[in-house]
Amino acid sequence: MDDARIRAFILESLELWQVRASVDSADPPCVAVIRGDDGRTVWLERAHADSPFRWLARWHAGEASGQARTRPCGSLVGVLSALRMALGVDRGSPVRIAPAPEDA
Amino acid sequence: MIPVTVLTGFLGSGKTTLLARLLRHRDMGRTAIIVNEFGEVGIDHDLIATSDESFVQLSNGCLCCNVRSDLVLTLGELAARRDAGTVSAFERVVIETSGLADPAPILHALMTDPEVAARFALDGVVATVDALTGVRALECYGESLRQVALADCIVVTKTDLAPAAGVEQRVRSINPDIPVLHVVKGDIAPSILFASAARAARLPAAGSPAAAMYWSAEASHSGGIGSISIVRHRPVHAATLALFVSALADNCGPDLLRMKGIVAVVEEPERPAIIHGVQHVYHAPAWLARWPSADRRTRLVLIGRRMRTSWVQELLDLLDAEVADQLARCARPQAGNAAAATTRTLDGA
Repeated sequence: MDDARIRAFILESLELWQVRASVDSADPPCVAVIRGDDGRTVWLERAHADSPFRWLARWHAGEASGQARTRPCGSLVGVLSALRMALGVDRGSPVRIAPAPEDA
Repeated sequence: MIPVTVLTGFLGSGKTTLLARLLRHRDMGRTAIIVNEFGEVGIDHDLIATSDESFVQLSNGCLCCNVRSDLVLTLGELAARRDAGTVSAFERVVIETSGLADPAPILHALMTDPEVAARFALDGVVATVDALTGVRALECYGESLRQVALADCIVVTKTDLAPAAGVEQRVRSINPDIPVLHVVKGDIAPSILFASAARAARLPAAGSPAAAMYWSAEASHSGGIGSISIVRHRPVHAATLALFVSALADNCGPDLLRMKGIVAVVEEPERPAIIHGVQHVYHAPAWLARWPSADRRTRLVLIGRRMRTSWVQELLDLLDAEVADQLARCARPQAGNAAAATTRTLDGA
């Protein structure tokens, strides 16, 4: 899965969430830099091959603290979750699984 | 398990007429009825003749807004009365919602409440839409759209007063694959209605015109709610399926009303998985014993607002690529361990 494809997918995810932001390439291991119109920036990196995670998302928690946050992600599901958190996107609810009809 | 059919439909669309007529049928003798009316004074119960106490009227507001306190308690009470023999041993429950109800919370309660799920199983959702005013209701009222979007079967009523073609076309633009029945004055056999609405039993036959419509990769829209269909030729890994439904719930939120489909899974090539979801609540996948036809492609239908075919397809593709890569990664250390073990054995020797 190449970097350009990941960036295109993130861009479409931002459109789905109705978030105005740009997605740019950056030097490895950074795959994408996501810059929101409100000034928030997220850096998405591929995790090291030895890491149990696949991705690392980094962003600043807030201007006041200036504290950087890093969230390791096991899959793109985690990446999307980290992006929503970093960009302040309020979306869905955690999935709930009910018994299958024939199990019931 | 006692099957539950949810009967919904917009105000004046003919739900009560349909139910009243159904109840005259002898096949409905062992059916408990729960009717929800929006308003202090119930009228519907006067329009529905019932022969025993397996009839409950809820008139303290809209069922979808009081679903935990009312529906769950009512079903529990009905089950207890059935066990005690104070009502007939009913074999089905029909819940008639109010005309303004959003069926989703009702379906969530039926699917997830532990006490309800222990005795009752959601069998299907029937939505009435009348041929006379149905198109306008779908244009003007989100409740009507959601009722159609979440239905497993549509009953077009009042077809003696107006042609059904327009409303049927609009209904199919929202929820393309479901059976649409034309019913005048509620005249339909219960067995036909319930079989048409049974969600677990229904899959379109490959190659049929309905299947072509169901599985086409085109999006259609109606009043902001539309459907998209995804067809995938390669099977997906089982782990992908779990990630996929989680990502849909997380990222689409309330915009996703319904997802249903048949999935080809790598680990079970001879047994497709059937998935059903209402917003963020999914049934655990049901596994068919075999493929129902020669068509073994994964086919998904998503109904909701602002759904993007390309995003959903790419999400599924990317997640499955990640899972395949992860499985390959997991296999590599085992090979390494085997090599290391061999080395140690040789060293020991």
